[in-house]
Amino acid sequence: MSGGDRYSVLVAAIGNPDRGDDGVGPAIANRLRDRVPTGVRVLECGGDLLELINEWTGSAAAILIDASDPAGDPGRIRRLDLSSSRLPADFAQNSTHAFGLAETVELARALGQLPARLAVYLVEGERFEIGVSLSPRVAEAVGKATEAILAELSRMAAG
Amino acid sequence: MATRTINVDYIARVEGESSLQLDIRDGVVDRVRLSIFEPPRFFEAMLRGRRFDEVLDIVARICGICPIAYQMSGVAAIENLLGIEVEPPIHALRRLLYCGEWIESHSLHVAMLHAPDFLGYSDAMAMARDHGDAVRRALALKKAGNDLLRLLGGREIHPVNVRVGGFYRVPTRAEFAPVAESLKRARDHAIATLRWVATFPFPDCTRDYEFVALRYRDEYPMNRGRIVSSAGLDIAAADYEDEFLERQVPYSTALRSALRRRGAYLVGAMARYALNYDHLPEEVRALAGSAGLGAVCRNPFQSILVRAVEVIYACSEALRLIADYEPPARPFVAAEPQAGTGCGCTEAPRGILYHRYRTDSDGVIQEANLVPPTAQNQGIIEEDLRQVAMAGLDLDEDQLKANCEQSIRNHDPCISCAAHFLTLRVNRS
Repeated sequence: MSGGDRYSVLVAAIGNPDRGDDGVGPAIANRLRDRVPTGVRVLECGGDLLELINEWTGSAAAILIDASDPAGDPGRIRRLDLSSSRLPADFAQNSTHAFGLAETVELARALGQLPARLAVYLVEGERFEIGVSLSPRVAEAVGKATEAILAELSRMAAG
Repeated sequence: MATRTINVDYIARVEGESSLQLDIRDGVVDRVRLSIFEPPRFFEAMLRGRRFDEVLDIVARICGICPIAYQMSGVAAIENLLGIEVEPPIHALRRLLYCGEWIESHSLHVAMLHAPDFLGYSDAMAMARDHGDAVRRALALKKAGNDLLRLLGGREIHPVNVRVGGFYRVPTRAEFAPVAESLKRARDHAIATLRWVATFPFPDCTRDYEFVALRYRDEYPMNRGRIVSSAGLDIAAADYEDEFLERQVPYSTALRSALRRRGAYLVGAMARYALNYDHLPEEVRALAGSAGLGAVCRNPFQSILVRAVEVIYACSEALRLIADYEPPARPFVAAEPQAGTGCGCTEAPRGILYHRYRTDSDGVIQEANLVPPTAQNQGIIEEDLRQVAMAGLDLDEDQLKANCEQSIRNHDPCISCAAHFLTLRVNRS
């Protein structure tokens, strides 16, 4: 992960491909990698989310992709605009790491280091056991989320 | 009989999940229980049945904060088992890799996790609005550490480049040029960070710890050395289990260690510093002195100063190693399986990390024993808490909880590693 200033848009997929539906972000990143417009960098982020602040500094926009906790509708895709609003409080409690996604975004906001446009796509997961594959409904959502993100990147490119 | 129970159900700004219960009876702290409730992770069982050359990739997954430490103690133990002595350039590269992890881990803890305690903020996000430059310096330091890990480890998290006998691939001199530039800036940030933390208000506290750390010739210890203590212990890694024991307590999923003869002891930055001050370069000792540190620091609240000093040292040492670097003739020496037992002990950012493996003649692991630094420091953390709680008996619940949490963070516990851990509960009676 380096050289973020050469790219105008950062797409960062957060998750562990070896933890079931936590791997939905990396799965979407794999689909996006060969299809994103010039100037868009696709990055996988396994653990150290603070590094994202260094990565998106200099980028005009960033799109984050992550799995969200089970809430009865696996595969549901939500897009949240983080440019001016915070992640919901319940989401902030989900990481056992010292700095999760919500903390990283709010730290960057306090430092004035958020990209002008920042959105997160959340795909609701169902199972997160070690070594299992994506659950069927989450696997189905991969294509749909990929297309939605490509459409957003096209709209950004069109200004 | 008046009983007061104070519970902290989840300790923030530490790695992993743990809680604390204090029972106060008739104005005396009756019981301190630091409970680690992170599920046990059974890494030692997972390693059994795997080949010796698979160990390093497995143990790198134990911790996202200190994967290098697990690889360094793992490779030291396996090479000890196989009778492999790596060449000086390989040793230098491993030391350089460790510098990256110390810079990254300490910088995160000093500026993001521990500093808010001293300045009265709930977390780094709140602190960043008033101390943005300090947080930006920490991010730049972390990046410099990451740059080293990426180059030498293959990637920042769960590195893949270390192998038994050396590395899969070693960098060229040219590849180090941008990293050296980043480290020069990082060293300036590290000095500024020490000056910043030196202005913090430190509670009066003196503890008579038995410090335990590695010591080797004229090196500030990282990858090798004998295990020594401030009470005169001086043993080889192979004798670790003769002197130290691990115990299970019913309220925690983590084992805890003690010296068989003397009980609780402290590992980590304060111990390394106290036992190896004479091995720090003069310029680093001068910077430590300017921050108010002598040759030994016995105030656990000032551990933040010692970590900041170690970040400066790690930046300087990394620059020295890069300047002296000559690529080895070969990246690794071949390793053949054999039956035996090997031990390794290296200095993780949080203190000594001991590994022991036993293999059969096919090189398959029959037994593994891993003792992380947080397991070793749990006894001291509880003793510190008892003292902090006794001194704060008249405080209201919120302030007492805050003091206890700060006391725990003095030792930067990595609970994920120890649960192979915080919620505070105080019972007053």
